Amino acid sequence: MSIDQPDACGLVEIALKTFREVVLSAASAEQRFPALMIANALSIAERELKGAADPAAALRRLLGEEGDADTLLRRLCEAIAEGRFDGRTDLRPVLWEITRARLAVSNPKYLQN
Amino acid sequence: MGLINDGSQPRLEAWLAEQLGARRVSVEDVTRLSGGAISENLALTLAVQGGRLDGRNAVVLRAAPPMEVSASLNKAQEFAVLRAAFAAGVAAPEPIVACEDTGLLGRAFYVMRRAEGVAAGFRVVKTDTPQHGLARELGRQLGKLHCVRPGTPGLDFLPRPEHGPARDAARLYREWAGAAAERDPVLSYGLRWLEVNAPPASEVVLCHRDYRTGNYLVKGGQLTAILDWEFAGWSDPMEDLGWFCARSWRFGRFDREAGGIADRADLYAGYEETAGRRVDPARVAYWEASAYLRWAAIAIQQGRRHISGTEPSLELALTGRMLPEIEHDLLLHLDSLEET
Repeated sequence: MSIDQPDACGLVEIALKTFREVVLSAASAEQRFPALMIANALSIAERELKGAADPAAALRRLLGEEGDADTLLRRLCEAIAEGRFDGRTDLRPVLWEITRARLAVSNPKYLQN
Repeated sequence: MGLINDGSQPRLEAWLAEQLGARRVSVEDVTRLSGGAISENLALTLAVQGGRLDGRNAVVLRAAPPMEVSASLNKAQEFAVLRAAFAAGVAAPEPIVACEDTGLLGRAFYVMRRAEGVAAGFRVVKTDTPQHGLARELGRQLGKLHCVRPGTPGLDFLPRPEHGPARDAARLYREWAGAAAERDPVLSYGLRWLEVNAPPASEVVLCHRDYRTGNYLVKGGQLTAILDWEFAGWSDPMEDLGWFCARSWRFGRFDREAGGIADRADLYAGYEETAGRRVDPARVAYWEASAYLRWAAIAIQQGRRHISGTEPSLELALTGRMLPEIEHDLLLHLDSLEET
């Protein structure tokens, strides 16, 4: 935790709120698209800073190996590319879990489609 | 400074007059068109005295990007494709003239006739009832385009697939994704799926390769022009149908599987009217999976253009963060194939 408060997450949160209430609502037609992009980028950053679900546990179960998420993701990619998961039914649910966790950060509304 | 400025405008006008066999050409009403993450488009009026375009002509000047994108044709090649498509009776904008000499505007460019209408996907799909006629017409247009075969004069520069269009595409997307496929298991899985399930090589035809809602113009519910030809190439004709129907281009109207505007049946029926071949739904499904991998690989590349510092852009940065959405659609599609 940072000594100084509010931390990055707190700053992004209030920056986004202020941006939405003050700037976005007053943006001209020409500024609207960039303003919406800024709000989108800040909201992704805020969700990422709040912490995303860690897929490490699911990856450990699937691979039967130890390691952090980054290491296990790389091993899984290698195994898939080598065909070691061809025809296996236990992979797809883990891919969904990883994708849902990433979507929860990048665009949670998309999960409802 | 814009492409057309006090310095370049007289050069451009003199060159156009020569090319069009006119006594005089003046360039008026220059405005920058939105859209086009890759090329730069200017709307302008050519006031022409004499020659084949005598009179006032609403045109678009399409210029190469500051940095060429690996997958796209250069402007002279794009112009050649546009000519072939237009000659085949496809509703492509009429090509007028191309210039490879970068001394004129600083970049290669070409000029085409400007069509009227709306392209923005979220606006095109916004109708209460499905647009059956529009989807059918888009099918007919695609069928006409797919009548253009290798050997057509002027298209010799387009590479022929080496190991069949499907395998070549999968290999290419793996190359584009690069290191991202080594740490993103959905990408890795999707690429593997494409390689394992690739259909045998088929006949190849001229494919648009970005045929989708957002890349055609609609006015009063009617199709007016098909745009963005920079990815065209020889491929499996089912590729364009799979791309068109991918969820990525339905703009929220997920129930209307043909580009968010109507049903697949409408698109397919129009296609079969003009293409001289039947739609192969299983092959279309393969190419729809391929579409998600292609779009994912493009999104990675666009994100990289920002990340590398060569082209800092919020739009490119956010495109890079669209990957989970694209992968969600891929998984949904692959799940649906197993249900049937």
